[in-house]
Amino acid sequence: MTVTKPRAGRTGARRHGLSSRDSLVLLLLALPGIAWFLVFAYGPMVGLVVAFKAFNIRDGIFGSPWNGLANFRYFLMSGDAATVVFNTVFLNALFLGASLLAGLVLALMLNEIRGGPYRRFMQSVIFFPYFVSPIVISIMLQVILSGVGGRGGLVNNLLSVVDLPQVSWYTEPGAWPWILTIVKVWQLGGYTSVIFLAAITSISEEVYEAAEIDGASRWRMALSITVPLLLPTFAVLVVLGVGRMFFGDFATIYAIVQDNGVLFPTTDVIDTYVFRSLRMIGDFGTTAAIGLFQSVVGFVFVAAAVLVQRRFQKESSIL
Amino acid sequence: MRLTRRHFMALSGAAGMATAFSGLSPAFGASSGTSVALLPSQAPTNWKAVLDLANAKLMAEHGFTFDAQFINWSNYGQQSLLKFTAGAQFDTALQALWLNMAQLQQSGALADLTGQIDKWPNLKKQIAPKLIEANSWGGKLWGIPQVNSAGRIQHFGIRQDLAEKYGFAEINDFQTLEKFFYAIKEKESGVTPFALASQTGWQTAVATPTGMFNEHSWENPYTMQYSLAGSGLRFYFDKDAATTGSSRPIPWWDDAGTVEALRKIRQYYNDGIINADALNVDQATIESQFGAGRFAGLWSMTDGLQSNRLAGLQRAVPTAALGQVLPFGGALGSVKPVQTFQADNMIVVNANGGDVDRAMALQDWFSVQENHDLVGLGIEGTDWKAVGDRGFEQLSTYSFPSYAILWRAGLERLTSSMTESEKKVFGWAQNYDNFTSDTFASFIADVTPVKEAAAQMNNVMTQYANPLFYGVGDVDAGLDKLKKAADAAGLDVIMTELTKQGDAYLKART
Repeated sequence: MTVTKPRAGRTGARRHGLSSRDSLVLLLLALPGIAWFLVFAYGPMVGLVVAFKAFNIRDGIFGSPWNGLANFRYFLMSGDAATVVFNTVFLNALFLGASLLAGLVLALMLNEIRGGPYRRFMQSVIFFPYFVSPIVISIMLQVILSGVGGRGGLVNNLLSVVDLPQVSWYTEPGAWPWILTIVKVWQLGGYTSVIFLAAITSISEEVYEAAEIDGASRWRMALSITVPLLLPTFAVLVVLGVGRMFFGDFATIYAIVQDNGVLFPTTDVIDTYVFRSLRMIGDFGTTAAIGLFQSVVGFVFVAAAVLVQRRFQKESSIL
Repeated sequence: MRLTRRHFMALSGAAGMATAFSGLSPAFGASSGTSVALLPSQAPTNWKAVLDLANAKLMAEHGFTFDAQFINWSNYGQQSLLKFTAGAQFDTALQALWLNMAQLQQSGALADLTGQIDKWPNLKKQIAPKLIEANSWGGKLWGIPQVNSAGRIQHFGIRQDLAEKYGFAEINDFQTLEKFFYAIKEKESGVTPFALASQTGWQTAVATPTGMFNEHSWENPYTMQYSLAGSGLRFYFDKDAATTGSSRPIPWWDDAGTVEALRKIRQYYNDGIINADALNVDQATIESQFGAGRFAGLWSMTDGLQSNRLAGLQRAVPTAALGQVLPFGGALGSVKPVQTFQADNMIVVNANGGDVDRAMALQDWFSVQENHDLVGLGIEGTDWKAVGDRGFEQLSTYSFPSYAILWRAGLERLTSSMTESEKKVFGWAQNYDNFTSDTFASFIADVTPVKEAAAQMNNVMTQYANPLFYGVGDVDAGLDKLKKAADAAGLDVIMTELTKQGDAYLKART
C-alpha cells in the first residue's frame, strides 16, 4: 500500500499538472475523433424518432405522424420472435467463444515461432480470411458442401470414400450452427490472434526470463504467464462482443443461408428476419424500431457484462 | 488583392443571387437542365461517347441533357428507395411492383402521369392503349410501362441439340417434355435436366397463367396469380368473378392442380431431374452453369433475349443449340392464355423535385427509332450494325439496360443471333390478340391496411412455401406446416381485406 499510494499521487499530480496549452493540444488531437462520433454516431440518433412514427416518404422523418409503439409490435408480437432471438444470442455466443478461443490458441502458437519471416508469413496467411467477402465464402461453402447441382461437394466426396452416406447439407438445419461457427473461426481466428499477439508483446521479457531460470518449460510459461496476462485483453474483447450479441452477423449469415427457409429454424437471426420482412414493404419505421430495440438490449448486455467483470475481476475491468 | 469585409459581402450577395436563380431555372422552361434517371446495372462500355452524342442531339431538339446514375442490381431496390426518401434530385427511376412502386405511390412520392402520354406523339404511337389501361391503378397512371412484347409467358429454354439427339425435336406437351428430361438424366452423364434458381421458386407450381410443372395449368392457362406488393402471398380471384360480381380470393395452394404440381416437383427432386441446391443458388450462377453445359434446360421468358445465351454456351459446347418450349398443351397459337398486361418494369417520375415535362419529353425522344437505337444499342458502325429492317448485329460489348427506360415493342430490333425457335415465340408474344385479358388485369392490392400481416406472410412463404416449390421435403407435411403458419400470420385478415378490395375493383369496373 505504501508503494501504490505515492504512485497514484504522482499520476494524479501529472494529470492535474497539464498546462492550458497541453490541454488545448490534446483537445485538438481528440477533435477528429469527436467529430467522427458526432457525425456518424450521435447525429444519426436523431433519426431514431422514425421508430415512433408512421413514416411516410413524402412527409419525411419529422413530418410523418407519431404512432406510439406500433412499430415495435410487428416483431415482438410475431410468432417467430422467441426462435429468432434465441438464434441471435446462441449463434453470437458460439461465434464469440469459438473465435476468441481460436484467436488465443493461434496467438500462443505464433508466439512460439522463432523465425521472423516464417512467423510473419504465417500471420499473414491466417489473417487473410478476414478480408474474404461473405459472398465468396458462400460460394466456397457451396463447392465444399454441395457442388454443382447440389448433389456432391468435397465433403460428400470424402464421405463416399469412407463408405458413409452423403448428406444434403443445405436441407439439414441441425448442422448449421456448427458450420457457421467453423466459418466464423476461419474468418476471425487470425484477426483475433493479431490482437492477442499485440498484447503478448507488451508482456515483460523479464517475467519469462525469471520463469526460465526457475526451469519452466515453454508450455508451462504459456499457461502460467501468457494466458493469465492476456485475460484483461480477453475480457475487453468479450465485453465488446457481448455488446454486439443482439446484432446478428447479417452479412455472413445472409450471404450463406440466403432465403433457404429449411435452415431458418437454426440460422434465422433478428437482422435476417427483419430484412426479409421489410424487403417487401420497405417500412422504415419498423426497421428503426427493431434497430433501437437491438441497441437498447445490446447496451443492457454490455452494462451487465461490465458489472459482472467488475464483481469478479476488478483489476482487469474496462470501467 | 486584399479582401475587405465589403468584398466578402458583395461576393456572398452574388453567390446568393446565383443560387436563387439557379433554383428558379426550371420555371423558365421545362426543357432545360439535365434529366437524371436512376437505372440498375452498370454504365455500358463506351457510355461517355454515346451519351455525348445523345446529349448533343437532345440539347438541339429539346434544350436539356440526359444523365444516368447506375446502381448495381444487388442494391438497386434499397438505394433507389433511399434516394426517394432522402429527397435526392432526379427526374426518373426504374420502379416496379416487385421493387417498391406500390409503397412509393401510396406515400405520394410518385408524380401522377395520367393523361401525359397523349401530349407526346412519338410516345403515344409506341404505347398501346391496352397497355396504359392495364397499368393504370384506380384509373391513374403512375409510371410509363417499359415492355418489348404484349404478353410475358415464362417457359422452358432447352438444349435443342440434346432434344434432337434423343428424338424430341418437337415438344408440345408436358408428357413429352418430361420424357426428354428423363432421357437426359439417363443418358447424359454430368448434365442435370433442368435448373432452378432461388427467388423465383413459386413459378414452378403457381399458375401465372401456367406454372412450369403445373400440368393442370398447361391445359388451362386461364388463371392469373396476384400478389401482395409484388411478392409474399400469391392468391387467385374467382374465375367467374366477372359474372358473379364477387371476387372470392383464395390462397395459391387452394387452386386446382397446384398440390399435384408440388408432388411432381418432389418427384423431380428425388429423381435428380432438377438441381438439389436451388434454394441457395441465384439466377446468375445458374446462367453461368448452363453456359458451361451443366444443364439441359432453364427458366426463360418471352422477351427476345434468351438467344443471348447461345454464344457463351457454344464456347463450352460448340455443337449446342437452343430451343424454346412454351407451357401449353398444343402448338403455339392453339390457346389464348390469360394476361394482365401489367408491365414488369415502369419508369416513374419523382414527385419531389422531378420535372414531369422534361421526363416525358425524354420518354418521347426515346420513342424515335434513331434515338432509341443510339442509347439502347450504342453507336452504329462501332457498337452494332443493322441487319435487314428489324435486325442488328452486336459489334462491341456495349450493354445498356433498355428494359428500364426505353423498351418500346414497336422499335425493338432483333439480334442476329436470335434462334428460329425464339423468333417464333417472340413474334407470337408481341401480338395482343394472342392473349385474353384477365378480369382483374389492373388490380393492385393496397397492402397498407394489412401491412404487418403481409410482412409476416412474406416470412411464412420464404420459410415454408419455398422448400415445397423446389421439391425439398415431404409435400403433405410441408403443406400442413405452411397452412398453420399462414393462419398464425393472419391469413384470414389478409383474405378479408383482399375480398373487400377485389369486390370494390369489380364494382368500379362495371
